[in-house]
Amino acid sequence: MSGVESTQQRTGRRLVNVAAVLGLLYLFAPIVVIVVFSFNKPLGKFNIVWQGFTLENWASPFSDQALTDALFVSLRVALISSVIAAVLGTMIALSLSRYRFKGSGAVNLFLVLPLTSPEVVLGSSLATLFLSRGVDFGYTTVIIAHVMFQISFVAVTVRARIRGFDWTLEQAAMDLGASPQRAFWRITFPLILPGILAAWLLSFALSIDDFIITFFNAGSLVTFPLQIFGASRVAIPPQINVLASMLLFLSIALMVGALLIESRRQRMIASGALKRKK
Amino acid sequence: MLVLAAGIVAVGAEWVTGNASLIVSAVMLVAVVTIIWTAFVGGLDTRRALAPYGLLKPGILWLSLFFLAPLWSMLQMSLSSKQNRFDFFPSFSWEWGNYTTAFSDYGAQFGRSFLYAAIATLFTLLIGYPLAYVIAFRGGKYKAVLLGLVAVPFFTSYLIRTLAWQNLLADSGPVMSVFNATGFTTVLEALGIITNGQIMNTPASVIGGLTYNFLPFMILPIYVSLEKIDVRLVDAAMDLYSSASAAFRRVVLPLSLPGVFAGSLLVFIPAAGDFVNAQFLGSPNTTMIGNVIQDQFLRQLNFPVASAMSFVLMAIITVSVLIYAKIMGTDDLV
Amino acid sequence: MGTRKKSSIGQGPAFSRREFLVRSGLVGAGALSLPALLAACSSSGSSGTKTLSFDNWPEYIDAETVAAFAAASGINFKYTEGFNDNNEYFSKILPLLSQGKTIEADILAPTFWMAQRMLGLGWLQKLDLAKIPNAANLRSDLKDPAWDKGNQYSLPWQTGVAGLAYNIKATGREITSVEDLFAPEFKGKVGMLTEMRDTLGLVLMGLGKKIDQISTFDDAADGFDKIEKAKNDGQIRAFTGNDYIDDLSLGNFAVCVGWSGDVLQLGKDNPDVRFVIPEEGGTSWYDTMVWIKGSQNGDAVAEWMNYVYDPVNAARITAEVQYMSPVEGVRDELVKLGGDAAELAENPLLFPDDATLARLQSWGSLSEEEEAKFDERFSSITGA
Repeated sequence: MSGVESTQQRTGRRLVNVAAVLGLLYLFAPIVVIVVFSFNKPLGKFNIVWQGFTLENWASPFSDQALTDALFVSLRVALISSVIAAVLGTMIALSLSRYRFKGSGAVNLFLVLPLTSPEVVLGSSLATLFLSRGVDFGYTTVIIAHVMFQISFVAVTVRARIRGFDWTLEQAAMDLGASPQRAFWRITFPLILPGILAAWLLSFALSIDDFIITFFNAGSLVTFPLQIFGASRVAIPPQINVLASMLLFLSIALMVGALLIESRRQRMIASGALKRKK
Repeated sequence: MLVLAAGIVAVGAEWVTGNASLIVSAVMLVAVVTIIWTAFVGGLDTRRALAPYGLLKPGILWLSLFFLAPLWSMLQMSLSSKQNRFDFFPSFSWEWGNYTTAFSDYGAQFGRSFLYAAIATLFTLLIGYPLAYVIAFRGGKYKAVLLGLVAVPFFTSYLIRTLAWQNLLADSGPVMSVFNATGFTTVLEALGIITNGQIMNTPASVIGGLTYNFLPFMILPIYVSLEKIDVRLVDAAMDLYSSASAAFRRVVLPLSLPGVFAGSLLVFIPAAGDFVNAQFLGSPNTTMIGNVIQDQFLRQLNFPVASAMSFVLMAIITVSVLIYAKIMGTDDLV
Repeated sequence: MGTRKKSSIGQGPAFSRREFLVRSGLVGAGALSLPALLAACSSSGSSGTKTLSFDNWPEYIDAETVAAFAAASGINFKYTEGFNDNNEYFSKILPLLSQGKTIEADILAPTFWMAQRMLGLGWLQKLDLAKIPNAANLRSDLKDPAWDKGNQYSLPWQTGVAGLAYNIKATGREITSVEDLFAPEFKGKVGMLTEMRDTLGLVLMGLGKKIDQISTFDDAADGFDKIEKAKNDGQIRAFTGNDYIDDLSLGNFAVCVGWSGDVLQLGKDNPDVRFVIPEEGGTSWYDTMVWIKGSQNGDAVAEWMNYVYDPVNAARITAEVQYMSPVEGVRDELVKLGGDAAELAENPLLFPDDATLARLQSWGSLSEEEEAKFDERFSSITGA
C-alpha cells in the first residue's frame, strides 16, 4: 500500500483481520467438538454429553461392525464413481477447451444444470426413474447417482485448470512427427494431469460425503453417511467420531504433504532458474 | 449430438420400456463406440471433425440418461395418482391435484426454505468475504495453508458436523453459556432470535447450520475472483487519493462480483433443498421443503406429491437463478 | 458384488447356462445392464453351509450373542443394524417384495404394527414352531396377539413401555401426569416421539381414552388436535427418536415421551433423568422377529429364534440392551449372572409389578385405510 495509513484505515484493516479470524474459529468450532468427543466415554447409546476421558475408542476404531462396513461401502463407491467421473468429465473438459464446435454453448449449459439443481431434486427424480424401470436399488444405483453429480464437477474443474493451456505445444509435437495420440499422451496429458487429479480428489470427497442423493437411491445399501443418519435417531457410538477424526487427520496429512511437495518443487524450479541464469 | 441426447431421454423416459429399453440403449452405445472407432481409424479430417463430439459423448450420455431422463420421469410422476396406499409406481393420469396439495399443505415449508436459504446466503457472504479477502490480499506465502484451513473442516462428514452443532447450541452448551455470561442473550431475546433461553431448535439454529455447512462454497469462488485482481489497481486508486474504503468499493468489490455471484448460487441452491439442518437442528415449526419431500418420498410412499414438490422447487430455483443472473449482468455461471 | 441380494447365495436355484449367457451378454449394454449383471453375479454359486441374515435395529444386542450363536450352530450368520425406522425400511423393501423379489435379510425386526402390516401384505412366512421349542418361554401376556394368533408368524424380540421421561433439574418437580407435557411452565422444553403410536397413545390416555379400543381416525382426532395445538404454540420443541435421551441430559427437554429402556441405560450415573409411567397409563409396545417371504433359510431362522428364547441367552441380551425381555425366566438368569446384571433383576422398569402392568395399554389393530389417515395426519403435524 502506498501512502501513510490513517488511524481509521488501520482500524479498518484490523477489523477485517478480526472478522477473518472469527470466521476461521467458526469453521473449526464443530471440528473441535468432533475430535474431543472421540475421546468421550458415553454412558448410554448416545455420544453427545461429555462424561469422561478415555482412549478406548481410539484403541478400537473398527469395533462397531456396522459402521466399519458402511465406511468400506463408501470408500468403494467413492473410488469407483470418482474414477468413472474423472474419465468422462475430463473428456468433456478437453472437448470444450480444445475444440470450437457447434453446440458447445448448449453443452456448457447442460453441464451446469446438475450443479444448479438441489440435491433433493436430483436424488428423488433419479429414484423415480429407477422405480419406474424396476431397477433394484443398491451399489449400481448409488454409483450411477454419484457419477451423475460428479461429472459436472470434474468437467468444470478440469476445464478451469486447462483454460490457459497452450495447445500449440501439442501441435509442435505433431509437427516434429509425433502421432496425435502420442502427442496427447506425452505432452498434453502430463501437463493437465494435476488438474485431473484435483478434480478426481474433489469428486472422491463429494462421493464419500454425499448423503441426500444417496439416501434416495441406496435401497438397503448403507453408506457411511447413511449409517450416521440412521444412528443419529437410535444410537451414536463414539467410533463415529473416531472414524470421522481419522478421515480428517488423513486428509490434513495428504494436504500438508501436497503443500510440502509443491513448495519443494517451487524451490527447485527457482534454484534451477537461478543456475541457468549464471 | 443433441439429437442423440434427446433420443436417450426418450429411452430413459416412458416411451420405450422393459427389455426394449435395454436393447435400444445397447444399440446407442454401439453407435457411440462406432463413432469413436471411426474417428480413430478414419483420416485426420474425419478425426478433427468428430473428435469433440466423440469426447463429449460418454459423459453427455450419462447425464442425459441419469439427469435429464429422471427429470422427465419426475414430471410424469408428479401428474400420476396412486391406485392404493402401497402403490409404488402410480400411473400417469394428469393428476394436477398433486400440485394443489404441494402448495396448500406445504406452502409454509416452501416459504421457509427460500427465506432460510436467502438469510444463510447473506450470512455466508458476510462471514466468507472478509476471510477470502484476508487470504487473497494478506495471506502472503501462507495463502495455500490458509485456504487449506478453510477446507479442512469439510473433510469430516457433513452429518457429523451438523450433529456437533447440537452440542454447541444446546441450552446448557458452550454457545448459550457465552451468550448468557456476556448478556448477549438479552439482546438476542429482544430481537426475538432466542426464546426461553434456547437457540437450539429455532429458526436461528437451522439458519446457523445452513450458513456453516455451505460457507466454503461462498469463500472459494470469492477467493478465486479476488486473487485475480491486480493489487496495483488498488495502489493506483490510492495514489489518486482514493480512500481505502473507496478503493475497495470502486475497484475491489466490482471485480469480485463474479465470485460473489457464483458463491451465492452455490450456497442458495443446496441450502433451499436441504433437509439435514432442519432435521438435526430444527423444530416441528422450522421444517423445510426438503424435509417434506424426503418424508413424503421415503416414508409416506407418496411419490406423486413428493415429485410435484421437487418439480416446483426446481422451477422456482431455475427462475430465480435466471432473474439473479439478469440483475448481476452475467451469464457465466461457474 | 454386494447388492442386497447377497443373501441369495446358496438359496436361489442355480442358473442355467443359457440364462447365464443371456445375462452376461447384457454386459455390453453398458450402464443400464449393470443391475442385471450384478444380479447374475450374486445369484450364481452355491455353498453347503447354512446362512442366516438378521437386519435389526442398531445397538439392540450384546457383543457376544451373535458370535456365540454362529459358533454353536455352525451357521454363517450375518447380523446387520440397518433397521432404524419402520416406515423408511418399509418403503425400501416395498418395491422388491411386492414384485416377488427377495431381500437380503431372512429376519427383520419390525415393531408389532409394522409386522402386522407385513403379514397383511403376505410378506411373512409361517415359523416352524416345532423347531422352536423355546417359544414356550414367551411371556404369557405377549402370547397370541390379536393379529397373529398362536404366534405363527412372529415372536417378540424386545418389549418396552412408553411413558414420560424427565430431567428433575429442569422440571424442578416430579412428573406424574400426561398433562405435564402441556404445562405452560415447560413451553419449548417438551419432546415427543416420532413413533406415532407411543406419542399419540399417551396423549389419548391423558384424554381418558382406552387406546386398545380405538379403531377409527375419529376416535383419535382429539389427540391429534391436542398435539397439533401444542406444536403450533411452540410447546413442543422436537419430535425425536431415541435421541430424546440426550436432549434430556443436555437440558433441552424438561419432559418428554420416552421409553423405559433408554432411561434405564443411562442408569444410576445420571440420577436427574427419570422415567415415570403417568397416572393415566403407559403404552406397551414390542419389536418382533419375523421371517420374510422369499427367504429359504427356515431352519436357520428357527434355530436362531430358539437360541434367543433360551433364558440364558435372553438374559445376556437383556443385561446389555436393558429393555424388557419377552422371555420368561430371564430374571432368574440375571440373578445368576451377578453384578450389575443381578441389580437389573430388581429394577421395576424391567420387571414391573402387577399394579404397574395393569396401567399399561397397547394399541389394537387399525385397518389399512384408517392407519393411512393416522399416518397422514401425524406426518402433517410433525411437519415433515
